[in-house]
Amino acid sequence: MRKKVLSIHSSRGGTGKTVIATNLAAIYAIKGLNVALLDLDFRAPSLVDVFSKGIREPVRHWLNDFLDGRCKAEQALTDVSKAYGLKGKLLLGLANPAIEAIRNTMEKSRAWEVTAVKKLFSLRSTLFDNMDIDCCIIDTSPGFQYTSINAVVSSDISVVIATLDSLELKALRNMLVELYDAFAKRTVVLINKVFPETRAWSSEKQKNLISKMEKVLKHPVIGVVPCYCDVLQAKRTSLLAVDMPFHPFLRNLEEVAEKLGSINEKNAEEDVFCKAKL
Amino acid sequence: MKVELLLKKLVDKLDLVNQKLDSLIELNEKILKTQEEFLRAGSDKNHFGTELKLEPDVMSLLSLPSSLRKTAMVLLKLEKATAEDLARETKRLRPVESAYANQLVRMGYLSKKREGREVYFYIESPMEIRK
Repeated sequence: MRKKVLSIHSSRGGTGKTVIATNLAAIYAIKGLNVALLDLDFRAPSLVDVFSKGIREPVRHWLNDFLDGRCKAEQALTDVSKAYGLKGKLLLGLANPAIEAIRNTMEKSRAWEVTAVKKLFSLRSTLFDNMDIDCCIIDTSPGFQYTSINAVVSSDISVVIATLDSLELKALRNMLVELYDAFAKRTVVLINKVFPETRAWSSEKQKNLISKMEKVLKHPVIGVVPCYCDVLQAKRTSLLAVDMPFHPFLRNLEEVAEKLGSINEKNAEEDVFCKAKL
Repeated sequence: MKVELLLKKLVDKLDLVNQKLDSLIELNEKILKTQEEFLRAGSDKNHFGTELKLEPDVMSLLSLPSSLRKTAMVLLKLEKATAEDLARETKRLRPVESAYANQLVRMGYLSKKREGREVYFYIESPMEIRK
């Protein structure tokens, strides 16, 4: 897999971004890749809770501290690979959940946002060149917000998580044009929480749904993940790729992980997935 | 003798007043000069007489034409680049990149400086501008 930064974004909340981001990161790390997973949802930090079982020492430096210039990138990353018995490294860049930190983020100036995006680009070099990271996954906040757009701009591929909710699709269509096309970002859409009955659909029927969605959204759809009650009901602290490795949800996500790995963000002509789609 | 001393004190005080008046006149001249510069440059200068800098944050980039946005995005990534460096990233011609980067300089989003034979474009850290 070529080294890349993936941003996981959506037009609205509740699409399953964090579940997708955490499990994609775990899937890659289980395979032996070194992964950095960053929580850029500073208004509603969640990775610190999802990985609470694996974070064994109090967090000294948050991603907020790195962007504010209070610590180095390496200090803002927490290694949880051993705690989950992963083959590769899994480093977490956690957003500070303290109310004061959230309030502080909301008061940031435009000048700070420029510095933040520059720091995200520098973090990318640190991860890939100095820390032997193969893949960086950024979990963002939904919609048009500075931090999420900063994440999209500094990533190689944007994975947009959508559901089949018609209101959401309308907002998503706008976002794809106004944001992703405007920044000429390689973008793929992942349809999540699709009706449970699609699990029994033939592969042809599923392909038809994908092709219909691609026509509506005018962007490649990388996969369709059906809705599973046990995934929705799982505790927030459960890392499904580790706790339920044989769950069909994970099989769907493994296919997505493989397709994402095959995308060559530099040259659309060369990549297997997008060549077929675009 | 006493009158002489008083007169000397008076002269000293007058000297001091004179010096203060000179300083005020000098300051007034500076203010008038700055105001003239500001009026001459229109919106290109701010009231300190320095180049007006705009912050190329992601929201501002969205309002730029796509051609300029591409150049600005590359500079966010590279931090400092010649027109040739920009052209390598954007896969456009060097003179085209030079034109776009210079346009962004005129608009106040970028700065440029000469280092030897090379001209480098860069985004001045807005946090430092504020200080």
